[in-house]
Amino acid sequence: MQPAISVENLSVQYRTKRGEVFDAVKDLSFSVQPGEVVGFLGPNGAGKSSTLKALMGFVEPKAGKAQIFGLQAGTPESRASIGYLPEVAMYYPFLTPVETLQMYGELQGLKGKDLRVQIDELLQVLGIAQAAKKLNRSLSKGMLQRVGIAQSLLGSPKLLVLDEVTSGLDPVGRKELRHLLRDRQERGATLFFSSHELAEVDMLCDRIILINKGRFVEERNVGVLKDELRMFTLEYLGITSLVGLTDEWSEIGPNRFFAKFQSKAAMLEAIGRIQLAGGRIVDIASAEGSLEDYFVNTVEVAA
Amino acid sequence: MKPAVVIPICICAAALGSHATRFSNVVNPPVRAAGLEAQETHAAASLLGQFRTSISSFLFLRSDLYLHGGVEMRPLTKKEVDSGKKGVGAAADENEKLADDDSIVTVIPGARDDFRGIFGDVERSVASYKDMTGHHHQSPTQTLPLFRLMTWLDPKFIEGWTTGGYVILFDQKPGCIEKALAYLQQGLESNPDSIDILGQVAYCYLKEMEPIGYKGHQYDKALPYLEHARKIGVGNLKLLTEGEKEALEENYRRLAVCYRELHRYQDMRDCSLEGLQLFGQDGSLRQHAKEAEQLLRTQTTRQ
Amino acid sequence: MKIATLKALARSVVLESLRRKDLWVVAILGFLIILAAGTLGFFGFDGLQVFAKDLAVTVVGLFSTIIAVLTSFRLIPDEIRNRTLYPLLSRPISRIELLVGKLIGSIVVTWMSFIILCGLTAIALEIFQVQFTVIMLQYVLMKMLGLAVVCSISMAMSIYLTPNAAATLAFIIAFGAPMITRALTMSAPTVDVGTRTLYSVLNGVLPQTQLFDLGGRAVYPNWSPVPIWILGFLLAYAVVYSSAMLGLGWLKFRKQAI
Repeated sequence: MQPAISVENLSVQYRTKRGEVFDAVKDLSFSVQPGEVVGFLGPNGAGKSSTLKALMGFVEPKAGKAQIFGLQAGTPESRASIGYLPEVAMYYPFLTPVETLQMYGELQGLKGKDLRVQIDELLQVLGIAQAAKKLNRSLSKGMLQRVGIAQSLLGSPKLLVLDEVTSGLDPVGRKELRHLLRDRQERGATLFFSSHELAEVDMLCDRIILINKGRFVEERNVGVLKDELRMFTLEYLGITSLVGLTDEWSEIGPNRFFAKFQSKAAMLEAIGRIQLAGGRIVDIASAEGSLEDYFVNTVEVAA
Repeated sequence: MKPAVVIPICICAAALGSHATRFSNVVNPPVRAAGLEAQETHAAASLLGQFRTSISSFLFLRSDLYLHGGVEMRPLTKKEVDSGKKGVGAAADENEKLADDDSIVTVIPGARDDFRGIFGDVERSVASYKDMTGHHHQSPTQTLPLFRLMTWLDPKFIEGWTTGGYVILFDQKPGCIEKALAYLQQGLESNPDSIDILGQVAYCYLKEMEPIGYKGHQYDKALPYLEHARKIGVGNLKLLTEGEKEALEENYRRLAVCYRELHRYQDMRDCSLEGLQLFGQDGSLRQHAKEAEQLLRTQTTRQ
Repeated sequence: MKIATLKALARSVVLESLRRKDLWVVAILGFLIILAAGTLGFFGFDGLQVFAKDLAVTVVGLFSTIIAVLTSFRLIPDEIRNRTLYPLLSRPISRIELLVGKLIGSIVVTWMSFIILCGLTAIALEIFQVQFTVIMLQYVLMKMLGLAVVCSISMAMSIYLTPNAAATLAFIIAFGAPMITRALTMSAPTVDVGTRTLYSVLNGVLPQTQLFDLGGRAVYPNWSPVPIWILGFLLAYAVVYSSAMLGLGWLKFRKQAI
């Protein structure tokens, strides 16, 4: 099966007004399989938006290759299967959401009853039915973002490319959006989105791709990563050697200790040693590790 | 710059600004405030004045376009004259004041002189263009709104008043004398010392118009205007333009006729001689002077 | 090029422009100026007709050109500034389709406002007892073609320049080209062959906007209507010149990073 997105050695260059050239993306390679939900992460200026723009054909790559379902990225044919949400857009101030969606739908090749049904459905699902006939300029930032999401979902695209998808949405809106995107995924859509909101990434993604300064840093399966980041803690009484199991331990009271373990197996081994040494377990806990810490640490290492 | 520095500077500037008018009177005292027009004392008024004058001049030129039925004419350039190019000839009719001389040509050239090929042919077909050799003028009454507008815009535009007055008379319709006089009186309100307008008013009283049964020859009514013009002319002779001098000369002739018809032969002789002193070459004035001498002799003999 | 795509793009331009109300303001202002000509009826309405027509042609010509530039110079820059170009170009449409659709939209808006302005002008002229002639209809048709050319110039400029610079240049070209052509025509008979060739090239490059202005014949009496072949020629010229301007814009826009 053709990958939904295939990027090989992609480089994107920009020229400033002073004529200076800088590399926004350099030698980047990755792929996204159909049906996957992939988060595209990186700090500000990492090259996420530039990569997305290259996929959409908004900028021409300096080098490398990008394909969408086997078609050269940026061509009208390849874009036919993509729904794209830009980071922030001020949708036509003097059109209503319905008119805006109608125009985008017609450009997508939809027409007649099919288009009307889709528009009505999206207006309902995204909670903008009440504002459907108001001018865009009277809508809040969050409502405009919903209009933007609606336009990206028109025509049930096979691939959704979303740039900062939750920008401007309140917590309720974010929750509704997660449901919506999950629903699209269940219907077979591939989701590829950039975000700063690691909570969204955590809740939505199967996989993450991390880039920094235009270069690939690493890609991780979110389930595996979360397991790796999970922390196990133990509070116990009695002096026991935990050498080889963890370095993170401390004395928190008279003859009372606290230790952190990266894996469940290490913690179980430690419990065995404590009991053998005549110690006593006071508390056992397990906590999810911080994706943010992982993100910051990884980016720092890559930098 | 720090606020601690900026704020005191702003306060000082505001304090100085609020007293700026006092300072300006001390530093740059009014030199000649009395008797100056607004455009001489205020930059904005001067600019507006220039704009009004320009528009008025434009409208005056446009009246020429009306007379030629929309065909734009221009005088031959020196280069063209030197190369032996001939104009289309003067107008065949007798609208002297609005007539043109014979060294004019159409702005859009004929096919023979046009390098543009088909573009030239098309322009000659779409624009108001025709061969103007031996041309006729349209009725000058069509230009009346232009004169009304140009004298509104620039009440000091003497030629607008006098030519406009002439055009109203040219109409030769019932009431045209009253209209012309009303128009010229407005002109006199703005230009009480204009020799041209004074002369034009007198002309309205003197001219006979058979088609509308207007007998004219109202010497007593014309006289005050002509005498006023004479007074101004003698007092400011060196300041008069060539056009005003011509008008003054004409006024002397009319004044002499008025005195004659009102049997004031002494005044007739005095004014003719005065006119001859100023305009030595004028045959009519010489004739009037002679005639006045004869009339005076006859009068003395009778007595 | 898909008709549905062009239609959708053009319709959004028209809807937006109509709701902005700028057009109505200009049209009503034009109407009032022409109506104000009545105050010049100091001498009676006799003789006012030519002036009323002259004023009408001047106002309609000026305002419609302003509308043509104003509706087209901001279309593409606004799409980029508001980031709406992204969702537009994420659709299966080509950049030339986008330009054509937008240009059609701006031409339709300009034509609509021009027709509104002409309608209001006709009412004003009726008040001045002006007789309507075939030339006036021809004037309207040809002016519409000329306005399409102005729209295409303005849009092409907006791709190369900042919006304000584009509008300024478009105005200079629209109003200045006839003056340059006139100056060239006047001086051509007295220059050498080489310079005249240069004049021909310059004249070919400049838009012949004066050819679309039948105002002189519409205003002044006793002119005959323009032959049909002239209208056909001007239609062809408008299509070719607008396409050239569109192509000029596309040359940069097709590869432009957005």
